[in-house]
Formats: sequence, C-alpha cells, structure tokens
Amino acid sequence: MISVADLLTNNRIPGNYFTTDAYVRSDLELGLLENRRGDRLLALPETLIQAIYSGLDRETGQATRLVMFNCGRWWGKNFYTRFREELTDYYGQALADMTMAEFLQCFGQCWVTHGWGRFKMDQTYHNRGFLVIETVNSPFASQAPKGDRPVCFFEAGILSSFFSQLTGRELHCIQTACESLGSECNYFVLGLAKRLQPAEALVEQQMPHTKIMETLCA
Amino acid sequence: MHPQLEAIFDEAESRYLKQDELQLLSQYVDSLPIRLNVYRTLRDRELEVMQPVADQLQAQLPNEKIENLERALKTAMLTLRYCAMGLLLNDQSFAQNRLISWLGGTMRLYNVQSINTVLYRLVHQYLSQVLSPQELNLLTPYLTLAETLMHEQSLEATSIQ
Repeated sequence: MISVADLLTNNRIPGNYFTTDAYVRSDLELGLLENRRGDRLLALPETLIQAIYSGLDRETGQATRLVMFNCGRWWGKNFYTRFREELTDYYGQALADMTMAEFLQCFGQCWVTHGWGRFKMDQTYHNRGFLVIETVNSPFASQAPKGDRPVCFFEAGILSSFFSQLTGRELHCIQTACESLGSECNYFVLGLAKRLQPAEALVEQQMPHTKIMETLCA
Repeated sequence: MHPQLEAIFDEAESRYLKQDELQLLSQYVDSLPIRLNVYRTLRDRELEVMQPVADQLQAQLPNEKIENLERALKTAMLTLRYCAMGLLLNDQSFAQNRLISWLGGTMRLYNVQSINTVLYRLVHQYLSQVLSPQELNLLTPYLTLAETLMHEQSLEATSIQ
C-alpha cells in the first residue's frame, strides 16, 4: 500500500532546481547576478570570449588549446563541487543516490540555464568505455575564430574534470565535431586518456565523428 | 502574472488605463476569490484527494511496479501544485514552462503513459468530489495542458526508441 504522505519530504516535492526563472536572480542597483542560493554568477560578454581566443592565440599560439583546456579543467573542478552541493541541499539526497535519469535531467537543465546550450548524453559506446556528449548552441563555438579544428577547449576541459570527479576515474575529453566547422552539434568523447589518444590525430585529419568512434572502438 | 495584464501595465507607463484594459484587470480581480478558494482546497486537501487516487491506482494496475506508481504519483502531485500556482496567477505559461522543462525530460526517460492515463482519470474523479463544478472548470484547462504535454512527450519517447 502506497502512503502518499510518505512520498513527501517536509511537504516538498523537489522540482526543477535549475529552472531559469527561479535560478538566476539579479539586483539591478548593485549590478549583481546571483543564483538562487545567493552565489555570484558571472556574465561573459561575447567580446570577452572573442578576446580570450584572440589574446591567447597572440600570446601563446599553438598552446592556446592546452591553456584553455586546463582552465576548463579548473573551472569544471569547482563547478562539480558546487553542482553537488546545490543538488544535495535541494533534493536532500547525495548525488550518488540519484538515478542516472534524474542526474542527466538536472545536468542538462543546469547547462541550459548557465547559457552553455543544450546538452545530451549518448551512451551508445558506454560498454566500450566511452561516453559521448552532444551539445548544441555553444557560446564558445559561436565566438571562436573559425579554424580547421574544433574550438570548444573550455567545454572539453570542464567535461573532463566534471566527469572524472563524478566517476572517480581520471577521464580525458576530446572534441570530435564542432559547430564552428559547420557541424549540427558539438561532440565530446570522454574516456581514459590512453584509449582516447588515437582520436587526436583523427580529429586533426578532420575525420567525421562516427568514423572516429568506429576507429576507437575497433 | 498573467502575460496580458503584465503587458497592460507595461504599455500604460505614462497614461491612464483605457476602459477595456481596466475591464480585463477587473475581470481578473473578480475571479480572484474563486481562484484563491481552489488554491486553498488543493493545498489543504491534497492528501485527501491523492491517497484514494493512490489506492485506486494500485488496485487497477496490480502488476505495475510500486516504484513506477510512486514516481507517477509524485509527478502528478507536483503537476497539481504547478497547476494550482498557474491558476492563482491566471498564467498558463507558468505551468507550461515548469512542466516542459522538468517533466518533459523525465517523461522521456521513464515511459509512464499507461500509468498516467489511469492516474489522471482518477485525479479528475477525486477532484470533482472536493471542487465545485465551477471551480473544476477553472482548473481543467491547466490539467488538460499537463496531460497533453505528458502525452506528447511520451509519444516522442516511443518514437525515439
């Protein structure tokens, strides 16, 4: 027999924590953006994103990717800590106790609300040891200078450290398709660095995402 | 707030409201007592409505896993709370946005259409015992919206699979 009263905790039914209208708050007079817990949010103007790319390119050239990837890793590390804290507070259960479905729903909404575009996880290659993440409308892809290889180094770094902490294994992340190259979405492949290694060269050769996955799983 | 009312206040920034604009506002104000009433009833008698729904649901779907039934019930209660808030604000888009952004995703992940069909029939049935026909009429568009939304999402889920 189901007791409806027992389904409620403190008479609350947690809903969508990251829903945009409730999550982002602003104080016009102070010019502040905050999230619903009162933590400061930072707005990145498009000009700044463009300037980060061009400034780094001028200062460090080829190393831009690595610098941005490592910044992303640092960002992702803190992002994971905050994400975990906020969800644990709100839903009253540990991240580890959430079902995969609930986790993905929260993470996807979080990604949207932070203005990073739409997020989807593809678990087709899960049993081969790879997780594929698909994003659309990346602000980084749209503001980066057009080149001949994927440019979402920040996001790759964020995803790599976020999922490393989530899974407790050191995961690397490589972007295999990019909106800046005319792709419909961005693909990021997560896996152990050693197993992802061959993908670097294949991305360089501009091999399509599905072909890269076939090669990695072969 | 109702998008139409919000627009009126925005537009009338430096002038008096026109007759038809005031009319719209007073219509909303006139409807507030009943809206508040429905809201109070839903809030205070939630368990009274949902417990028999749960019992009936379990009786009618004896082979369904308890876990799935519980999830569907919880979702229905959340939906009802969003509908109540939407009704109070006279704003269907409030309920719609909350439902799409949250339930949309979970509907896609758990295919619960068969449970929901039975569940929402029961919710209607038991709500009609605590709300007057007029009150129920006011709430129905919100519930229908939620049902349609869930139905669409689960169709999408089936076509993806």
